[in-house]
Amino acid sequence: MSRPTVTIISASGEASKDTLSIPNVFKSPIRPDIVQFVHTGMNKNRRQPYAVSEKAGHQTSAESWGTGRAVARIPRVSGGGTHRAGQAAFGNQCRSGRMFAPTKVWRKWHQKLNLNQKRFATASALAASSSAALLLARGHNIATVPEVPLVISSTAFADAAIAKTSAAIALLKAVGAGADLDKVKKSRKLRAGKGKLRGRRYTQRRGPLVVYNPDEDGKELVLAFRNVSGVETSSVYSLNLLQLAPGGHLGRFIVWTSSAFAALDKIYGSTTEASALKKDFLLPSAIMKNPDLNKLINSSEVQNVLRPVRGGAITKRAVVQKKNPLKNFQVQLRLNPYAAAFAKEKLGEKKIKSDKAKPTSDTFGTLLQEN
Amino acid sequence: MASNISADLIWEVTRKFNSSLVKRKQPGGVQFSRNPLNLRNQYTRKYEGSIADKAIGVQAADNGGVTLLTKKSDKAHAPSSHIQSSTFGSSRSTRKTYSGIVNSTTKRGYRPDLRKDAVARASAIRKSQQPVKEDKPAKLRGAKARAAEKA
Repeated sequence: MSRPTVTIISASGEASKDTLSIPNVFKSPIRPDIVQFVHTGMNKNRRQPYAVSEKAGHQTSAESWGTGRAVARIPRVSGGGTHRAGQAAFGNQCRSGRMFAPTKVWRKWHQKLNLNQKRFATASALAASSSAALLLARGHNIATVPEVPLVISSTAFADAAIAKTSAAIALLKAVGAGADLDKVKKSRKLRAGKGKLRGRRYTQRRGPLVVYNPDEDGKELVLAFRNVSGVETSSVYSLNLLQLAPGGHLGRFIVWTSSAFAALDKIYGSTTEASALKKDFLLPSAIMKNPDLNKLINSSEVQNVLRPVRGGAITKRAVVQKKNPLKNFQVQLRLNPYAAAFAKEKLGEKKIKSDKAKPTSDTFGTLLQEN
Repeated sequence: MASNISADLIWEVTRKFNSSLVKRKQPGGVQFSRNPLNLRNQYTRKYEGSIADKAIGVQAADNGGVTLLTKKSDKAHAPSSHIQSSTFGSSRSTRKTYSGIVNSTTKRGYRPDLRKDAVARASAIRKSQQPVKEDKPAKLRGAKARAAEKA
C-alpha cells in the first residue's frame, strides 16, 4: 500500500514522467488530539485585547438614599430637573449601570505552547493532507484532482510565469482544483451576528493552500493568488498550522510546487536525522506502525497464537430462550432420545394390551368347591 | 494511501467531523451520511464509503436505471480516477440489474457484506422510478351522493 513516489503534474495538468519521493514528514503519525490542542492555543495567540471603558457606568455622582424611603438602597442619581434624577445607578442590574465584572485588557489572552508540540502538530497536519479521504471529510471538492498530494512542476512558476491572477486561476483549473475554487466562491455568506460590524462581514470556506519555495519559485505568485477567493499561499519554510488544519480539522487541500515538495525533507528531516533548519527536531514516529486493524487481525503472527475455534461450525449459544420440551420435539429429543422411537411406533396412540382373565373352565369351580 | 494511514484510523479521525455527516439535533439522534458511496445513508463504519478502501454505491441514473459505483482500492491517492461507475439502464429488468450488481461485487469478493444493501437500494431506486398510479376518484356517499344524483 505504501507509495514511495508522487507524480509531478505539469502546468497543463498532465502527469509528467518525473516523480518525487514522498518526504518523511508524510509518514508522521496522525494525531487529531494534538492538532486540535495546538490549534486552539495558536488561535488564541492571535487575539487582540479588548475591554469596556474603565469609566463606563460610573460617570455619575449617585449616592444611596439609605433606608426609610420605601425604595431599594441602590445608589440613586442626585439632583432634580431631569428624569435621570432619582434613577438607580452603578449596579449591573441598572439601566445605564456598569456591566457585571467589566472586561479588562489584562485578561489572559495568550497561551504558552510547547515548540515540540507545535512541530508535531504541523507534521501531523501535513501527513493528513496526503489522504484523499481526509480531504473529502474536510469538505474539499477534489473529484477532479489527479493525485493527492498534488505536486505541480516548478517550471510552471519559473521566471514569474504566474504573476497575474488570470494565470493563477488557469493553472489551478488545469490541475483539477477548479471545482474546489467554485465551491469556495459559492460559499460566501453574510456572517450571522455582530461580527458583520467589526470587519468580518462575510464567511466563506477555505480553498486550496498553495505552498511554494520562495528561493526557486519567486514571490510573484503570492500576488497572483492574492485575489483568488479562498486560496491562500504559504512559503514552505513557514507553514502555519492555522492554514494546514483550519478549525483544527485535518486534511487541508494543499497544492505543492515541486521545489517546495522537494524541500520538505531538508526542513523536517526524518525520524532519525535531525532537521537541517529546525533546531533539535526529529520527526515523531508512530507508536503503532501499522494502524490497519484487518491486517493485524489476519496477520500470521496473530493467527498463529490464537486457539482454534471451539465446537467447529456449531457453537453453543450463550443466552437462548427456554423452549418447552412438550411442545418442541427437537428439544424433547435432546432430553429423551427414546422419544423418537416412541413417536415412530406411535406408542402413545396404542391401546394398552390388557389380556382379560380367561374364563376358568367349569371343572375348576367344581374342583375348588369339592371339599 | 500512505502506509501510516489506514481506513480504521481515518474512521477514528473523521467519526465526529465529516463533511458528509448529517446530525440530528436530539441527543443521541441518528447520524446520516450524504456520501454517494453509502448504501444506507447511515454514518457508520460499515456503511461510510468515503473511509473504506473498498466501497459500493448505488445511485439513480439520469434517464431511469441505476448506476453502480465502486472504489478502486489501489487508486485511493488518485481522486479523479478512483471511482468506477457502470450504469444498468431502465430497459434492463430489475432481476438482471440485481444480479449484475452482485456479479460485479459480491461474487468477486468485493464487499460481500454489502450485498443485501446494494440490491435493496437498487430495488428502491427502480421502484421510485415507476410512474405513480393515480388514486381512483372517491365514490360519493350519503347526502353528497344524493346531491350529485339530483344535479
